[in-house]
Amino acid sequence: MGKSSTTKDAQALFQSFRSAYVATPTNLKIIDLYVMFAVFTALIQVVYMAMVGTFPFNSFLSGVLSCVGTAVLAVCLRIQVNKENKEFKDLPPERAFADFVLCNLVLHLVIMNFLG
Amino acid sequence: MEATNGTGKSPPTPAAKPDLLSTSSAFFSDFLKTLKLKTKQQELLIRVAILGLVYILAFSTRLFSVLRYESMIHEFDPYFNYRTTLFLTEKGFYEFWNWFDYESWYPLGRIVGGTLYPGLMLTAAVIYWSLRFLRFAVHIREVCVLTAPFFASNTTIVAYFFGKEVWDSGAGLVAAALIAICPGYISRSVAGSYDNEGVAIFALLLTFYLFVKAVNTGSLAWALGSAFGYFYMVSAWGGYVFIINLIPLYVLVLLITGRYSMRLYVAYNCMYVLGMLLAMQIRFVGFQHVQSGEHMAAMGVFFLMQVFYFLDWVKHLLNDSKLFQAFLRITVTTAVGVGAVAMGVGTASGYISPWTGRFYSLLDPTYAKDHIPIIASVSEHQPTAWSSFMFDFHILLFLFPAGLYFCFKRLSDATIFIVMYGLTSMYFAGVMVRLILVATPAVCLISAIAVSATIKNLTLLVRAKSKVANPGAGKGASSAKASSKGLPDQSMPFQRNGAIALLVGAFYLLSRYATHCTWVTSEAYSSPSIVLAARGAHGQRVIFDDYREAYFWLRQNTPPDAKVMSWWDYGYQITAMGNRTVIVDNNTWNNTHIATVGMAMSSYEDEAYDIMRSLDVDYVLVVFGGVTGYSSDDINKFLWMVRIGGGVFPVIKEPDYLVNGEYRVDKGAAPKMLNCLMYKLSYYRFGELTTEYGKPSGYDRARGVEIGNKEVKLEYLEEAFTTSNWIVRIYKVKPPNNRCWSQLCASTRLDFGIWLHVNVVAGSMHSASSTLNWVLFCASFIITVFEQAFIITKMPLAFKRHRSSSKANLCPLRAIWKRE
Amino acid sequence: MSRLPLIFLVAVIPFLSTLCTSFSPEKPSDRRILVLLDDLALQSSHSLFFDSLSSRGYALDFKLADDPKIGLKRYGQYLYDGLILFAPSADRFGGNIDSAAIVDFIDVGHDLIIAADNSASERIREIATECGVDFDDDQAAMVVDHTSYAVSDTEGDHTLIASDDFIQSEVLLGSNKIEAPVLFQGIGHSLNPANSLVLKVLSASSAAYSANPKTKLSSPPSLTGSAISLVSVVQARNNARVLISGSLSMFSNRFFRSEVQKAGSSIKHAKSGNEQFLTELSKWVFHERGHLKAVNVRHNKVGEANEPSMYRINDDLEYAVEIYEWSGKSWEPYVANDVQVQFYMMSPYVLKTLSTDQKGLYFTAFKVPDVYGVFQFKVEYQQLGYTSLSLSKQIPVRPFRHNEYERFLTAAFPYYGASFSMMAGFFVFTFAYLYNK
Repeated sequence: MGKSSTTKDAQALFQSFRSAYVATPTNLKIIDLYVMFAVFTALIQVVYMAMVGTFPFNSFLSGVLSCVGTAVLAVCLRIQVNKENKEFKDLPPERAFADFVLCNLVLHLVIMNFLG
Repeated sequence: MEATNGTGKSPPTPAAKPDLLSTSSAFFSDFLKTLKLKTKQQELLIRVAILGLVYILAFSTRLFSVLRYESMIHEFDPYFNYRTTLFLTEKGFYEFWNWFDYESWYPLGRIVGGTLYPGLMLTAAVIYWSLRFLRFAVHIREVCVLTAPFFASNTTIVAYFFGKEVWDSGAGLVAAALIAICPGYISRSVAGSYDNEGVAIFALLLTFYLFVKAVNTGSLAWALGSAFGYFYMVSAWGGYVFIINLIPLYVLVLLITGRYSMRLYVAYNCMYVLGMLLAMQIRFVGFQHVQSGEHMAAMGVFFLMQVFYFLDWVKHLLNDSKLFQAFLRITVTTAVGVGAVAMGVGTASGYISPWTGRFYSLLDPTYAKDHIPIIASVSEHQPTAWSSFMFDFHILLFLFPAGLYFCFKRLSDATIFIVMYGLTSMYFAGVMVRLILVATPAVCLISAIAVSATIKNLTLLVRAKSKVANPGAGKGASSAKASSKGLPDQSMPFQRNGAIALLVGAFYLLSRYATHCTWVTSEAYSSPSIVLAARGAHGQRVIFDDYREAYFWLRQNTPPDAKVMSWWDYGYQITAMGNRTVIVDNNTWNNTHIATVGMAMSSYEDEAYDIMRSLDVDYVLVVFGGVTGYSSDDINKFLWMVRIGGGVFPVIKEPDYLVNGEYRVDKGAAPKMLNCLMYKLSYYRFGELTTEYGKPSGYDRARGVEIGNKEVKLEYLEEAFTTSNWIVRIYKVKPPNNRCWSQLCASTRLDFGIWLHVNVVAGSMHSASSTLNWVLFCASFIITVFEQAFIITKMPLAFKRHRSSSKANLCPLRAIWKRE
Repeated sequence: MSRLPLIFLVAVIPFLSTLCTSFSPEKPSDRRILVLLDDLALQSSHSLFFDSLSSRGYALDFKLADDPKIGLKRYGQYLYDGLILFAPSADRFGGNIDSAAIVDFIDVGHDLIIAADNSASERIREIATECGVDFDDDQAAMVVDHTSYAVSDTEGDHTLIASDDFIQSEVLLGSNKIEAPVLFQGIGHSLNPANSLVLKVLSASSAAYSANPKTKLSSPPSLTGSAISLVSVVQARNNARVLISGSLSMFSNRFFRSEVQKAGSSIKHAKSGNEQFLTELSKWVFHERGHLKAVNVRHNKVGEANEPSMYRINDDLEYAVEIYEWSGKSWEPYVANDVQVQFYMMSPYVLKTLSTDQKGLYFTAFKVPDVYGVFQFKVEYQQLGYTSLSLSKQIPVRPFRHNEYERFLTAAFPYYGASFSMMAGFFVFTFAYLYNK
């Protein structure tokens, strides 16, 4: 019990996770990479804000929300495109991608307005 | 009501009794046949026709006041909206977005661009510009007056689609028809009621419909649509808080009951992030989505969802429950811990502001009465009585539980949503009368489900028999014919008769509903409060147009930079119609300023004069209903002036004005009441007027008593204008006397007795229980008697009264006046 | 026919000349003065005083107080610019003059000199009360002073007072010091100390009291000491000036020429100070001194020439006003270093002393405070003896527009960078996703 079993669990977890992940298709991996990039940028901004303070709050919000929005929309795309999801088997991937592009367009336009 | 005829298309057999039903159906089906339409297209035609009729009905039922009076804006708040829309169309969007209004809340001014919800004004302006573009030379006022009915019609269309999404197209049609005439919605969207709710209910329903559609289809495009709908709602009304709390609650319920799906994730996340971003573009909302306690539920659910779905994904990926359990334990504890800590820190440090008074009083209905008298004073914020529910909903009130039953029978994502919407909105409608409006679409939709399902079952029963017995006959075949055919089952005719009887009953109920709604609209909700109507002695209608008379007098007879002091109810109307600067208006954003006006109205004339001079007031406007019996006048609102004024300035004490706990204006009234500024301005010269046959002069018809102080003399103000029915009275503040210090050049030798009596003893007269007060009273009485005798013999000047040095009073006032 | 307009023009010119010489705000010194007397002998017994007035250019019109043909106004036009009431015993005035008409006369902006004595009627007392000054109620009372009476050969009842308790003001009494005391015999009056419009020009000494000199005192007199004012002036809010004196005889030739010695002092002055005192005071009353006008109030943003209709917070602005003083014949620049302007909204946010260029122009510059609202430029200038200047100009002050805030802050560069990197990332991602095999 305790620490050793937790670490052992964590390691075993990690291993099985890795092995399962390798099986995912490439396009999903690209999306995952994109999501990680967005989340990482968001974390950097939060750390920066913690150091400097919130002065231009609207800029901070627009920066963080652009990262969060990008991540969220990419995850939605991933969900819709993933062949294992039975609910979306009727949805053509082109349609999913078109929706994704549209939403991103709106997102970035609003961010541009909110940034200054 | 679903069309009960027309879907049959076969010609009736010649042996059938030609009753009305069969002939009409035959005619109808012949008509459709001539158009060479298939069933599906016939159905579409019928649906479109019904929707078209409902659209026109919704618009036309709201036009009563336009037809009876004229096309004008009603009430108080719409005047401000009208003025801002006028400004927008004249000066353009850029000026409107940055508008600093220096004509209201003198001398503080108001940043209008940053303190209003611009959706309504922009909508009306867009309609106006597009009509102008099409070369229709309309006036912006007509557009404003008819915006609300236009959007009510649009709401019925959205209700149709929403009903179709939740149940089926039949329910959608019924919902559209019900919401077109429901009084709960009509009350705030009648022609002339140019207020935020007229557009906001449309936006609310649109947002909900698009969200439910997004959850049903899992498409990003629909979620984006609902984000835009939410943006429109945020720009239109402060009630958007309801959406941003209901949708997370719904998501939470779905998560808990295990009905979650990937579609939910897509819909909620896209809607929340994009909706939040869009909402923050409205200046008035600002950063509230991340800082205010009312919006934290949405954020909490957002994070919860990420965690939830992440865990779900990992579980799916791992395919090993034991490992997953461990992982689950770690993650859940961390996530919950972090979330709780963040929430706690945020709330404790004050960064996340607690629920504002307006919304907190919805959760705790007694809060406003004790802490925020301004909120408590608005009549729309009182809890709802049962009669209001019946009045506004009629049969929908018992169709609502029936609909809930149907929803529970066929649970899906959409029906769960509509059930939650219905229940939460009914709770809030019970807390505040004004929020019956928010409950109306839910009630209409759920009742529509009940009606549609019931009628569908009934017509199935009716039609099923005829189909089984006579495959070729149309639905319109008479019951006699069916029975004459020799049915195999004996109970079937009972069922069929029963079904027909129930159908007739349902039809009767719905027609009663329609009658009730029209009657309510005509009698109760179509009065523009600015024009009053009454029945004369011979039954003819008498119109009192005093308000507009007074405002136009102000507009034409006062200097353009004159400042008008009145109670805050009339502020918007004075700025919009009278075009003069006001001291306080309906926005009520600065309680201290309102309390200053309240204090001026409830003080003696000389103290009030100092306050008015410091605010540069030129005119004072009071509303008085004693001659006409109008009961919403300033004397009836006086208790709020005292309470609000006394809440900020302790020198105003409510017991000074009360006699046995009530406000009186007759002989038994408190002396401070009989001499305060509001009393004097209302009853100046009223003592000479006979208002009713058989009653003495000075009989106040609104209170039903003869007034106590008929000899009202004004020293610092003079009467400028009184309207023809004495409803609005305007007084001019006199400049200080040219030669002397006080307004009357009184003798320098103090009239000590009178000074003592008026200023010291009168204030504590009615509670003269202590000996000191009695001693003072007797001493002042004796001094007064002797001094008066002396004066009368020596000096012929009338009216000697020493005005207490009220210069000293100004300094504490100045210290308290600050911007909130 | 063609000569008709010429004749008309010639006929009109005399009218124009009369119009030019009458009172106008451009030339505030009064011109036409109505003098109401109750006894026409006063015209000669007070001739020195009247001559001093007419030598300065005033047109005096002597009438009896109850002359039925007198009138201050005719068809809404005022016939006179000033009024001298030397009719203490007049109970009613003739024509259309009464106390209300006289009070209106003051309220329109014209000046008044009232003299009373112990025969003062109710009418005169009433007019004085309307100006903020109360004569003693006792009809028979006179001011008696046993310590500063005027020494004379006969043992009098000490009602003839020699007073030198003047108000210290060069504007009111001229730059030359009045050496000799002023002779006074009449009734006293009191002022409300809270009233700042009334000034005591000549007050009684602290030993004076107001009582009936012929009877024994039965109770302490109500008016005593230096609360008694012998001569007062009132400057109303519209800058009309009123002189109220309790003694008619102090204007007489006899008092002007008489020698005076104050009791208790050994100096004997050959001439009393009455002539100098009253001449200088009458110059002040009729606006030959101490009359200011403020014109050309301007304000603008620094660097611009025209007046904006609204300022923004944190703007820099300039304010200028020109103040002139009437010298009796022309407008001279007024020079002072204590004129202040306030930027006021319920309390002054900015208070600055205006600097002057010695030619009458007063100016200053300051920054609009960080508060928005409706402000006023307020100049409240009240000096003893000078007309009160009360200027007020309303101007709204607006907050920043949504695009007037600072942009491109260095502190926010990471956020800008993040947003743009997101956009770039999205762009790259679409290519990578779409063209991925």
